[in-house]
Amino acid sequence: MIGRKIHIRLLLVGAVAALFAASFLTESNAQKRRDDFLHATPQHKKINCNSCHKIPTGNWVAARGYPDVADYPGHSSCISCHRAEFFSGNRPAICAGCHTNPGPRGAARFRFPVATKSQDFETKFPHNVHQDLIASNPRRGRVAVAHFVNASYADGVSRTDFASGDTISPMRRQVYSADDPKVEFNNCSICHQTPDVIPKFATRALPSMQPLTSAAANTVTPVAGFFKNSPNSHASCFSCHFQNAKPLSTDCAGCHSPAAPYKESSTVQRYSLKFNHLDKDHVNKDCTTCHVRITQNADIKFMKDADVPILTCSTSSCHGSDITGEIAKRNASIAEKQAAFQCVFCHTPEIGRFPIPPSHR
Amino acid sequence: MLFYCRQIVLATFFLLGFLPSAAQNLGSLEVSGRVKIEGKQEKLSRKRFYLLRGGLAENNALVERLKAAEITSRDCYYTGISASPQFVCWLQAGNCESPYCRDISKEDIAKVPEFQVAYNKGLTRYGKKPLIAQDWLTTNLLPNLVSGFYLQRKSLANMLLGNNKPLQSSMTDSVTVKAVFIDIELSTAGKKTETFTVSNILPLEFGAKSYLWACEIEIGGDKPAIMRLQVPENNKPVKNCEVIVRDLKVCKTGSCDRT
Repeated sequence: MIGRKIHIRLLLVGAVAALFAASFLTESNAQKRRDDFLHATPQHKKINCNSCHKIPTGNWVAARGYPDVADYPGHSSCISCHRAEFFSGNRPAICAGCHTNPGPRGAARFRFPVATKSQDFETKFPHNVHQDLIASNPRRGRVAVAHFVNASYADGVSRTDFASGDTISPMRRQVYSADDPKVEFNNCSICHQTPDVIPKFATRALPSMQPLTSAAANTVTPVAGFFKNSPNSHASCFSCHFQNAKPLSTDCAGCHSPAAPYKESSTVQRYSLKFNHLDKDHVNKDCTTCHVRITQNADIKFMKDADVPILTCSTSSCHGSDITGEIAKRNASIAEKQAAFQCVFCHTPEIGRFPIPPSHR
Repeated sequence: MLFYCRQIVLATFFLLGFLPSAAQNLGSLEVSGRVKIEGKQEKLSRKRFYLLRGGLAENNALVERLKAAEITSRDCYYTGISASPQFVCWLQAGNCESPYCRDISKEDIAKVPEFQVAYNKGLTRYGKKPLIAQDWLTTNLLPNLVSGFYLQRKSLANMLLGNNKPLQSSMTDSVTVKAVFIDIELSTAGKKTETFTVSNILPLEFGAKSYLWACEIEIGGDKPAIMRLQVPENNKPVKNCEVIVRDLKVCKTGSCDRT
């Protein structure tokens, strides 16, 4: 009798466990469906982007704080081709493309855009045009360059709390204080700012090279000030391109072109993880003093690996002798058949143990 | 025998494919934008320069086009499209070429009629949100006020360059005032250096004059070449340079309140 009770209990526990697991299975299917949507199918490719995506979507105020595509296309965009799928059972699979709880009553939708979904488009950005049109004049006096607070846009915080009588907008954190004359250059800071928190970072891989020795202990820990972030939303683009300035916000293909699905990495990869943008002797330099290629870059995807060539440091009066000295020490260590000297003035040992590349000679 | 010959030929081609190509001879050039103009040291900050293969003789057709070009100054462009004097004064105050140049403050909106109209349109279009109306103000300005001058300059640059395709272009920065050209592929053909021409193609405005340089420079692979721009003094020509200095056509913009 007792044995039978135990069996029943075990069965009940099993059933509950199965239901619990099934709930995950449903989620997983939903997620699969959600992540499966492809812009690149022959049928979808025939459709104009803005016949599905409306701009701005009705929820822009709450979702973004600025006019944006902040929600999925409505049912009308899908139903003409997918009608049968909409009326297939109690929990039609197609609903899981957007809705958290698929079914006729499930109104709640996943956050748009879906963060886990692979990217179907790459973004074109001509730095050269923006340099010519926006950055052709230096900032003068105390007025620093305006920049967006990307994090505030990204986290969907509404801007309605900003008192209209104020003269300094939090969207454009201008610095007017004479005591704190932060100089920012050439409007680069419209899109690239020091992040509030340290991003994920990694040493860039050098797959075609063999290290000369094993890496010594690293003594430098990067902090947020070492890095700059990049736009991850329409915020900095739409402030000029929403209307009037081409490509317009309604012309998706003006900036986005179809690409094989890919996952964008949020890890910043560097050859030199020791460079601190906020160092007192760096922060007063114009971005383009070192980023010398950027003013002629017509498309971000054609940017060269190291967009700061060593020449910008090695020919400078600041670091010329440091770099020459390190290269001499490396050459001497090899000539004397000692363990290769690790170039750690600019590099962490993970990079500094590799052979000197032709660009450094 | 024929079989072995064929194998040897194939193996040779195969191995050739793996041989490293001859090391590229690369050069670099620094153009300094610190220029003495009418006795005053000026900084040509944030100005674009183009690098063309060949010296001035090889680029003679381009130089002739530069000499003959009709140039519209910023003030003439904006007065030509009937921009208000306040708008032109706002540009002049920041040495700006377009309204993207600096932030448009509430005071600017109150002063400049074009800004006022655009701001009010923004309030209507962007859900009565003053912040967006202000920060996105250029999206409600007339397109020719926003990018007309840039587009006109761009088309002029394309017209002047014609078939002379620049190898690279680079802008001077605002601190060191240098434009840097790197990874310049050199075809020195037995010589130590190769001759190139550097030009700003679009004249730069300083005071009541415009300045255009087309200068030749020798670039080698051993060390960066350095070019320092000069303006002719006492009618003495600048060595290896064509410097085209023109008086700018005066377009009345009214008097600007500099307070």
